[in-house]
Amino acid sequence: MRAKFLLLPLEAMVVFAGPAFATVYLTIEQAQSVLFPNATFQPRTITLTEEQVKSIERASGVHVLNKQIRVWRVSTGGWFIADEVVGKHEFIPFAVGLDDQGAVKGVEILEYREAYGDQIRNPNWRQQFVGRQPGARLRLEKDIRNISGATLSCKHVTDGVTRLLATYEIVLKQSGR
Amino acid sequence: MAGRTYWLRKIVTLRDSADLATGFPSGAGRMGPACLLCLLALVLMALPEARADEPLFGFTYTTDLLPKGKSEVEQWSTTRFTKATGDFWLQENRTEFEYGVTDRFQLSLYTDYSSNYAFHNGPFGVTTPGEPFSYDTPDPNAHYRNTAYISTSVEGIYRLRSPYTHFLGVALYSEARAGRDFFETENRLILQKNFRDDRLVLGFNFTYAPELRNLGCKSSSLCLSETDMNLDSGVSYRFRRNWSAGLEFLNEREFGSYTFWKNEINDAYYFGPVVHYAGRRFFVTATFVEQLPWATYHSDTLPGAIVGGRDYDNDFERYRVRIKVGWTFGGAR
Repeated sequence: MRAKFLLLPLEAMVVFAGPAFATVYLTIEQAQSVLFPNATFQPRTITLTEEQVKSIERASGVHVLNKQIRVWRVSTGGWFIADEVVGKHEFIPFAVGLDDQGAVKGVEILEYREAYGDQIRNPNWRQQFVGRQPGARLRLEKDIRNISGATLSCKHVTDGVTRLLATYEIVLKQSGR
Repeated sequence: MAGRTYWLRKIVTLRDSADLATGFPSGAGRMGPACLLCLLALVLMALPEARADEPLFGFTYTTDLLPKGKSEVEQWSTTRFTKATGDFWLQENRTEFEYGVTDRFQLSLYTDYSSNYAFHNGPFGVTTPGEPFSYDTPDPNAHYRNTAYISTSVEGIYRLRSPYTHFLGVALYSEARAGRDFFETENRLILQKNFRDDRLVLGFNFTYAPELRNLGCKSSSLCLSETDMNLDSGVSYRFRRNWSAGLEFLNEREFGSYTFWKNEINDAYYFGPVVHYAGRRFFVTATFVEQLPWATYHSDTLPGAIVGGRDYDNDFERYRVRIKVGWTFGGAR
């Protein structure tokens, strides 16, 4: 059937499509140094239970993509979390620093793999997250200013930070110091 | 079937020409056409800075537009084949340049050029060219073959609401298309609703497209030939990074007036799968749809056009395959 023949290039791409081009802005270690200078970091991998996933989704209004979260306890107090959100075609890896009370200390974009939308690296845009409290439900264009032409990335990073603030409130806060 | 034999011969000819042009050893000439297409796909994938915007569907538009100052080149290939009788093969090609004027307004310029083979394919077995070649009236028993430039179009899409920040994405589309002895305006209302972190996308289009042709009109050189009023819809899910798959459902209706309540000529329904891949600066979208046996006779339907519940008038056939390939320029570094 000719139709199958016409779709063969797509099948070929499924097999041979390599990793997409990515611009790495910061490694995990570099982001840790930026957010918590002169601190040391103790890694923890936390696997969320079904109940925790439901609680986080209920509290944040954001879907939990991955039950495993990569967190580091910071020697000077606070948490460092490496996570990712959905981009246009790829995931957007990012990191959030939380202070000892769970408020946002800073947000760093680790990699960007999309053709458009890298304006989310703009320090002024990321600065809007600083000081946001645990449990806050951040909404684009209400709490966080949008960047025209980068709407999807802005929305998903905003959602990602909201989800991590809920994760702190429900999981990290109880997990001890 | 003669039509299929004709296209196979074409492919073999192209393959042999490629061997001559590239100087590949003759063994390459034994590769099947499928292998050649695979090779083409791999070459496209290897292009370092070829990239993508986001037509998730072959026929249904979404509200996603190019950001301001960014541009994109798209190549479309639409193959339409199989009538109730005889042989029919219509290859429509489009080369398009898109530019983001603002973050919510996109302009495009494109040209269409097509090839057609038809033999005893129309109502009552009369050789009938496809719609792009409807200016031709071949002998009823002729083997009709033609390749020609069809039209040039200008298209604008304005997004009223983004699906990422509003409940529903809304955009307006308008196109002016001029070609040999015809002029058409195509106007669309585009709706888009996203779910599941914007990975599940529903698209819906209503199209209103009056088409003027040179039909020996009394008052002017062009007069109304038909008005297309289509309802296209699709659902697509991004099942892994860079890859989306879904379904499209098309309802195409033609009227012999500017309204949708009188002089209906044709209605046809198409349904089929769509696959979309998007890299950093390159995308490919492929759709295959088949006409469903839901067509019915209306006041102005051509006698003999509907066979087995499917409409086979000159703008309808049983199968359509559309492949879109695009490269985007400008953007993140």
